Amino acid sequence: MISEENVKSTGVTPHEVSVPFTQESARMRAAEAIENIVATLTQFRCPICGRTFGNYVDLKFHYISDHPDAILPVTVNLNINEKACQVLIEPHWTLHRALQYRLGLTGCKLMCDRGACGSCTVIMDGRSVLSCTILAVECEGKSIQTIEGIAANPKWKPLIDAYCRWDAMQCGYCTPGFLVSAKAILDKNPDPTEEEIREALAGNICICGTYPRHSTAILEAALKMSEGG
Amino acid sequence: MADIAGVNGQREHFRVVGKPNLPGKLSYALATGIGKFGADFVVPNMLHAKFLRSPYANARVLSVDTTKARAIPGVADIVTWEDEDIKKLGATPFGFGPRRAWLDNIADQENAEVAVIVVAENEDICDEALRQLDVEWEVLSHIVDILKGRDPDYPVIRPPEFDEFPPGMFDPKPDPDHPKRGNVSYATVVQGDIEAGFAEANQIIEYDLKLPAFASHIPNPPGSVAWWFDDPYNGEGKSLHIEGAVQRKDAIGGMYGMPPEKTVQEGLFQGGKYCDWGMRKSQEITPLLAKRTGRPVKCVNTREQTYDFLMNERYMHLKVGIKNNGLITAIDDFSIADGGVQGSSSFGTANDQGYGPYYTLKCLNIRQSMDIVDSNRGKMYLSGQHCPFNWDAGTMAIYLIAEKLGKDPIDIAKLNLHGPTSQTDMNPVPSFEACLDEGKKLMNWNWHPSKAKKLPDGRMHGMSFRYQICPRHAFSGYDCKLELRRGIVHMPTQGPCTGIFAVECNAMVVAEELGLQYEDISIDFDYKETFTPVGGGSDGTTASSWAMKECANILKQKILEAAIEEAENPPPPSMFGGFGAPQGPNPFKGLKPEDLDLADGKVVVKADPAKGLPIAQATQKNIFATYSGRPPAAIWSLGMGKMLDTMNTAFCEVAVDMDTGVVEILRFGVVADPGKVIRPTSLESQIDQVMYFSQGCQLLEEYVFDERTGVRLTANMIEYRKPTIMDIPPVDRRFLETRSGNAAYGASGISHSLANTHMVIIAIHNAIGVWVDPPATPDKVLKALGKA
Repeated sequence: MISEENVKSTGVTPHEVSVPFTQESARMRAAEAIENIVATLTQFRCPICGRTFGNYVDLKFHYISDHPDAILPVTVNLNINEKACQVLIEPHWTLHRALQYRLGLTGCKLMCDRGACGSCTVIMDGRSVLSCTILAVECEGKSIQTIEGIAANPKWKPLIDAYCRWDAMQCGYCTPGFLVSAKAILDKNPDPTEEEIREALAGNICICGTYPRHSTAILEAALKMSEGG
Repeated sequence: MADIAGVNGQREHFRVVGKPNLPGKLSYALATGIGKFGADFVVPNMLHAKFLRSPYANARVLSVDTTKARAIPGVADIVTWEDEDIKKLGATPFGFGPRRAWLDNIADQENAEVAVIVVAENEDICDEALRQLDVEWEVLSHIVDILKGRDPDYPVIRPPEFDEFPPGMFDPKPDPDHPKRGNVSYATVVQGDIEAGFAEANQIIEYDLKLPAFASHIPNPPGSVAWWFDDPYNGEGKSLHIEGAVQRKDAIGGMYGMPPEKTVQEGLFQGGKYCDWGMRKSQEITPLLAKRTGRPVKCVNTREQTYDFLMNERYMHLKVGIKNNGLITAIDDFSIADGGVQGSSSFGTANDQGYGPYYTLKCLNIRQSMDIVDSNRGKMYLSGQHCPFNWDAGTMAIYLIAEKLGKDPIDIAKLNLHGPTSQTDMNPVPSFEACLDEGKKLMNWNWHPSKAKKLPDGRMHGMSFRYQICPRHAFSGYDCKLELRRGIVHMPTQGPCTGIFAVECNAMVVAEELGLQYEDISIDFDYKETFTPVGGGSDGTTASSWAMKECANILKQKILEAAIEEAENPPPPSMFGGFGAPQGPNPFKGLKPEDLDLADGKVVVKADPAKGLPIAQATQKNIFATYSGRPPAAIWSLGMGKMLDTMNTAFCEVAVDMDTGVVEILRFGVVADPGKVIRPTSLESQIDQVMYFSQGCQLLEEYVFDERTGVRLTANMIEYRKPTIMDIPPVDRRFLETRSGNAAYGASGISHSLANTHMVIIAIHNAIGVWVDPPATPDKVLKALGKA
């Protein structure tokens, strides 16, 4: 039964859930999300009981004594949007899960959870990969770019602008995944043809049917970037 | 005839409305990934929750022993249907059936949840706790083949108490003269004299069509995060914060006795709803679990758990009486429809009888009868109108009549379409005629009978045509508010963002009326505001723009009055200096409000527009304007068959490889008259969207069930194939503006009108001369051709 005494506030402030609207404020919020990634862990929270420890060794001993049958969490050194960071995860965690639950990045969206839709696309060592099908522990030492890194970089402003001008989104859930794929092809080929763009986006599914808008936006962005942005 | 009710209905010159490439207000938040959907929220100290889901198509939990699960470290709570907290939760289904407990111990589809919910420190512990439950299931008979389930001897799958319809349910209710029998309910609607209509006919055609089920278009896994917090500014007790329930937060708050002012939400993003407005249990349960545990709780369905129906399955048999010239005299429409699981929407079954293709026809003798079969296939949450399959029965009738008589189906459609004002009006519909003229040019329309045209590459060519209304809409009124504050016009709104750029259309209309640019309008999103431009799809949007246009003109009048008042009685300089007080003589002194206008961000003198002041200097007042109302003459409210004003036409060309069975859509063509184009970029995109829906359901998407177990085999994004960017055909579009709708400037909506299940199928028949049930995959095409 509900008892009033066990009701309490979370302390979440409105700022943490508010939505900025302009291009510049969105860019700044993306940059802020990267900035907020903690480089070195100072707290080690037990994922089973929620107890927090000041170092990994204490967490390890806690596992030995209190959760002897459980698999010990591990720390992984990741490089996210050129920021090195240490992350405490369980060994079976996907990269997507680490990005969302440990690093606070919300742009990598989970739709199908089985590598079929492209919504969770990130760029790892220059290649588009699906973060829902990659274990975070496999990403140690890899360079990973998420949509936040792309959005925060003024170089890619023409791409973001073109997506917004052309409504290359409707509900917007799959949009960051498309933009990451778009950035990946422009990295490799700054002057792609429409057919090359379609092939590059073939792994991204938009249920709202915005497909033709993506190639239009990417072609416009490529032209603008070739002219110096 | 244009409906010009309202202010400025006849405006001829537009600066903002109709302008392309204006970014959506929330587009940057979406593109950069900082916009949060329900599934994205992670808050400190958060617990996770998961439901026990059924491995069976129809089953009841007789008992559940939670002892082992509760003993797992990290499990915070387990709730079952026997818990008083669950029993107290009320449900308000839209469905064709009685009210039922919010959730109980019965799962009437595979993977459906029952009221056994575990709450734990993380999702993995939830999964382990679910595995450790000792569950005793009673497996019940199931139906996934509605033709078999219709058999009177088939075991009844639904408890009898679910057939007791309380007062107040959506019409039509079960016919007391034709009570439910076995698993089948009956619904019949008769118009005119069906026997006389057939007696009048020279010929009769009969045909069958299978209308496929296809999946809800929600891309984002539905889910919520909720917590309770101290809120001394809104009365006693805790307030509820819930994310992931945009536009339904008050309904969910109501489940827990919370008034709207004590139910808080910040997020704006709903994901693609597209007529699926139903909240999932994962969105409704988190406040209860948060209250029980004293911590924030998150619960999210996986995408696999969200393979609900946007449309459910139907088998139809039609008998159509025609005169020798192709004029329809009678229609006898019989359907066997999937009633879905308990609580499925009646818009997918009996309520469709109020719509359909028939209200556009001169024919007055129509019988629609339907056997609605309970099933364990799945749930349709609200509206099937997004792809109103009944309309395709009419499209196919027109095609078959044309085939039989050797005529162009466009001519058959013109012959049978009634006039603009009623079903007895014999005049042509100007919008329809204009769409046809443009469509023929667009498609180089040159009709050929079936199996008559081979392409140079050896494939067979097929073509089809379809028409529909661009519907007037205004189910509900709109409560609009605008504010001039420090020279800036603010448009406060609760949003939301569902993918139809509804708020932006309203801002464009406000800018148009106030002599401003789109970018000048500050759209202030606040969930506490009353204005929401939703009431359907884009038809609801355009309807809201009519109300907002009225509001803008009220604000305009107040601004002009304030400018005159301040010209005559200048306000004293404020302690901190006026932010925009006129520096010289006021040009409006001695004038009246009617002598002034708004243009280019200024208040100007009509007789000499060079004389003017920026709005911020013309008045320093904060000015509010409000308007509550709806546009006149909404066809959905008046009833079908009353008027035909704004129409659209769609065309399809296919090529069919007779050796491989592969169908290629060469192109879709759409000529639409939305009355007036308000925001062209999103209008184009919505048309693309419905054409891809149509492509998907006719060529790719398919629910497959294992009949023995009732398990859905294609409920994931690998087996259930949505079109990709590599699959889509070209969509050629043309827009006409007859200004004859009921919204701002004579606009109407485009939604609820273009998606279809059989335009491609008809084109395939035109190519190869045989029918293929959708989805027309190569194996089915070859089978239809007798080659497999």
